[in-house]
Amino acid sequence: MTRRRILMAAIMLAFAAGCGGGPPPLNLPPHAMVLRLADVDDVPTLDPAAGYDTASWTFEQAIFDTLVRYGDGNIELEPDIATSWESSPDATTFTFHMRGDARFSDGRPVTSEDFRYGVERVLNPATRSRGMEYYRGIVGAEDFVAHRSAHLSGIETPDRTTIIFHLSAPDPIFAHKLAMPFASAIPRDVAEKWGDDFSRHVVGSGAFMLREWVSGQRLVLVRNPYYFNQPLPHLDAIVEAVGVNQELQWLRFDAGQIDAVVDIPPAEFPYVMKTPALRELTLAKTTVTTRYLGMNCQMWPFTDVRVRRAMSYAIDRHKLIAILNGRGVVARGVMPPNLPGYDPDLQGYDYDPARARALLEEAHLAHGFDFEIWLRADQTLLMLAESIQQDLAPLGIHATLKPVAWGPFLEAIRQPHTVQSYMQGWEADFPDPENFLGALLSRAQWGSNNDSFYSNPAVEALLAEAEPIADMKKRYALYDEAEKIVVADAPWVFLYYPVTYIIRQPWVHDYVINPMRPTRFEHVWLSPHPE
Amino acid sequence: MNIRRFVTLETVGAAMVTVLVIVAVLAPILAPHDPTIVVAPTFGDPGAPSLKFPMGTDELGRDVLSRIIFGARISLTVGVAAMAVTMTIGIAIGLCSGFFGGAVDFILMRFTDLMLSLPPLLLAMALVAVLGPSLRTIFIVIGLVSWTSIARVVRAETLAMSTRDFVVGAGALGAPSRRVIARHILPNVLPIIVVMAALRTSDTLLLDAALSFLGLGVPPPTPSWGRMIEEATIYFRTAPWLATFPGLAIFWAVLSFNLLGYGFLRRRSQ
Amino acid sequence: MLAYLVRRIVFGAAVLIGTSIITFAIAFVVPADPAVAMAGAKADPQTLASIRSELGLDQPLYVQYVRYLDRAVHGDLGRSYIRRESVTRMIVDRFPATALLASAAMALSLILGIAMGAIAAAYRGRAADNLLLVISLALVSIPVFWLGTMLLIAVAATIRSFPLGGYSGATSLILPTLTLALGSAGYYSRVLHTSLCEAFDQDYVRTARGKGLSRTRVMLRHAMANALLPLVTLAGLDLAGLLSGVVLTETVFNWPGIGRLAADAIFNLDIPVIMGTVLFSAFLIVVANLLVDLLYAWLDPRIRLAETG
Repeated sequence: MTRRRILMAAIMLAFAAGCGGGPPPLNLPPHAMVLRLADVDDVPTLDPAAGYDTASWTFEQAIFDTLVRYGDGNIELEPDIATSWESSPDATTFTFHMRGDARFSDGRPVTSEDFRYGVERVLNPATRSRGMEYYRGIVGAEDFVAHRSAHLSGIETPDRTTIIFHLSAPDPIFAHKLAMPFASAIPRDVAEKWGDDFSRHVVGSGAFMLREWVSGQRLVLVRNPYYFNQPLPHLDAIVEAVGVNQELQWLRFDAGQIDAVVDIPPAEFPYVMKTPALRELTLAKTTVTTRYLGMNCQMWPFTDVRVRRAMSYAIDRHKLIAILNGRGVVARGVMPPNLPGYDPDLQGYDYDPARARALLEEAHLAHGFDFEIWLRADQTLLMLAESIQQDLAPLGIHATLKPVAWGPFLEAIRQPHTVQSYMQGWEADFPDPENFLGALLSRAQWGSNNDSFYSNPAVEALLAEAEPIADMKKRYALYDEAEKIVVADAPWVFLYYPVTYIIRQPWVHDYVINPMRPTRFEHVWLSPHPE
Repeated sequence: MNIRRFVTLETVGAAMVTVLVIVAVLAPILAPHDPTIVVAPTFGDPGAPSLKFPMGTDELGRDVLSRIIFGARISLTVGVAAMAVTMTIGIAIGLCSGFFGGAVDFILMRFTDLMLSLPPLLLAMALVAVLGPSLRTIFIVIGLVSWTSIARVVRAETLAMSTRDFVVGAGALGAPSRRVIARHILPNVLPIIVVMAALRTSDTLLLDAALSFLGLGVPPPTPSWGRMIEEATIYFRTAPWLATFPGLAIFWAVLSFNLLGYGFLRRRSQ
Repeated sequence: MLAYLVRRIVFGAAVLIGTSIITFAIAFVVPADPAVAMAGAKADPQTLASIRSELGLDQPLYVQYVRYLDRAVHGDLGRSYIRRESVTRMIVDRFPATALLASAAMALSLILGIAMGAIAAAYRGRAADNLLLVISLALVSIPVFWLGTMLLIAVAATIRSFPLGGYSGATSLILPTLTLALGSAGYYSRVLHTSLCEAFDQDYVRTARGKGLSRTRVMLRHAMANALLPLVTLAGLDLAGLLSGVVLTETVFNWPGIGRLAADAIFNLDIPVIMGTVLFSAFLIVVANLLVDLLYAWLDPRIRLAETG
């Protein structure tokens, strides 16, 4: 009997001990100006070399600085740590002059060496950075990646405030690649000390610094006392609670517990739009993203351009927008609005099932056909794909959906004879048509990003001609011609450009949205509000 | 005539299963609409239950009642097929283990112990994710992770049978093992197998619903109750009926097999 | 006793090795190049090639397995493909949340299960017994994720400012625990009911009844103590089932535990995390089984004697 009693007591003690859980309290001074945010998933990483998604970039931008950056609400290049810059006429040499008063959050001054280290770190295969490809154009990159040289020969740092990049081929938009977080200034001693765990112990020269990161629970940034652009930032701290699903975010927003919701949940969206008081608090941005249904031009039945055009006429894009509660713009071509070089007069394809039928008859497929649509297993994508299934069914076209995980999806679509069609999206990395037309539709990208295995010699010629041209007007004109040919060839069904809606509390000011980057926090301020 | 005598666990269970089977078989006749087409323009804003659509319409404008009815087909198919796979594996292992004993028993039981230390849902999820979700993959995978309890029960019963006189006698007379198993052991183990079949089906139904809920079930547009719940979770505040009806359907199906199985179990032990 | 202990530990280690082989086999049957998962959508073939050689993915499978096992034994479970973080660290960070939820649910399900089973047995054959039987069967038939969602709906519609997911102190524990515990409660109540009814038919109980003791006293004093033991051991051995329920509950309530970690990893085919979490679960189950066996032996002298005899 006593043994059992001891056992019961032990069990109860263990349980009681476990009950004390919960996240530890934050010790911020009273009256601190704190921006409270929330997100569904944990931030993947804070390491600029590793991050390549919205959540990571949101915070990397706050913690680190680059040589140049975009304006708060636009995609014009502005000085960040570099006060001025120039490029050689042939666009192979770029010189940047830096300010001397920038410092890391541990007090150390930022020098040109720190930017060199940042780029070398990205190119170093041991870092496994996703930004490698953007800096391969620098002279000596090949040798450095193959471990044949210890430093990138193409980067010159004649003094602490000057840095010069030499490229092996002309690249008029190289400066934009330095505006990506990949090219942030990294303190070598801290990065080498922590190695792969640098993400958890980041030190940067940006407006904010990392205070605390409890996995799966919350991320806290506080102001960097050494930030060069005093008196910014206005905020004292930013707190992001993670693991909060969309509905819960909305409820907390409604109760005033968080200050902004970056993606209004679909269930609440109609209500928000119908309520004027709430509608006023929303901000919308048409993202520089194109969502499309890619068709494999090397596989039956999409080898025939008539079938591809028939698909374009058969799918009702307006219904897709309705399913998204209006959070999208019907796509007429490859490039989204807001991208420099966008052609607003492009005709594209209207919803015309009769014309689709006629084209199918011409292609001897009047009775329709069966095919597969591969897609990432995402709820929104599935809904859109189901709508597409509904549109195609009356024409006898039977689409089977294949939802797969991200990794296998990418693997499969890059094989030339595996995937007939796939749902995909592409977000601009930098504001230039090359980022869409060149990256997605050129012959050189077969097996990489040109997963529709499309190729047209006329387009190739235009792309080759346009790439080194620094005169923007001429450049865009050439890309426009190329786009028109692509639209006529219809390797994709151009679906839509997503529109994101953000809602913020009335006491949040200067919260500006950028078409191509996450919101920056330096200028945001809060007026006094009830807790 | 005393109604009480007829209202037992197994009769109620049997009745519920019958309803389920009828709904599944006669789905095209019973459902008022095609479950995959748009019947109301309620995109992104599910419609509440009304006279025209007794269970409402979902975020893609489809009739929920029709989807529930057709969902019975998939659930029943997967549930029964997975049960068949699980029973086959479990019975085979249990019979061999219990009858042959010795090294065979040791190895098979150690293998069973190994399977028991892997959480079934995690293992099923991993397998489906790796192999890609399709109807066949799902019921095979579910079958592969659920056989351990059957194996143990059948082994216990076989062991008990093996020591009985008539079995020992048959062996001594030189009858081949296969025949002894088929002629003498199997028929006596059958009652417990029937009970386990019913109880297993309820488990496979739950496992299938869980996989669908996690996005690893049969792909759209085939309606599946688990996935309907998953699609409905974001609307839990604004359209709660969307998640309620599919759940009730799963509950009905699982409960029916549990009643059936448990009823037989009680009858047998009396 | 010692021999028994050693034997069980050796067996446990064998099970873990077996588990690691199975998970490794599944993971490497994946028709996807891990380098692609790590490098992301826009990587070019050269980047992929360098990543592949950095990770040692060009080695033969058995070499990779041995290296993995060696590191695992030293506590290094590799790094997540998606997040670059150490898998061991991710598991250690999230384990307390799951442990809390699991223990709370286990405790609640035992309390409810014992109560229901005992009451049903006390009124055996009468209306209460049948009612509780039906309730138990109903509880076992409710899908865990649906129950969680229904609770969320009910609470969201009635109580303001009640935490609806996430881990934020004691109140946020209530709904997930309830969700996870009810199904098991139904199951345990039936098990206890069966044990108690069997115990009632035993001689010593009949003797006590014969002496004129009231039914409840007989049950509580004599029958319960002996019926509780199989139940508690069953609960301990049921850890595998509990972990399955944990995955679903954590998903519905956004609870930051290892169940959710495993589900996300499987979805993204983040191999190192999948392997790490499955191995860790197997480890927990093996340890739990070991503890339960030892506990059983310690509490019940008959077993100990049988082993040494």
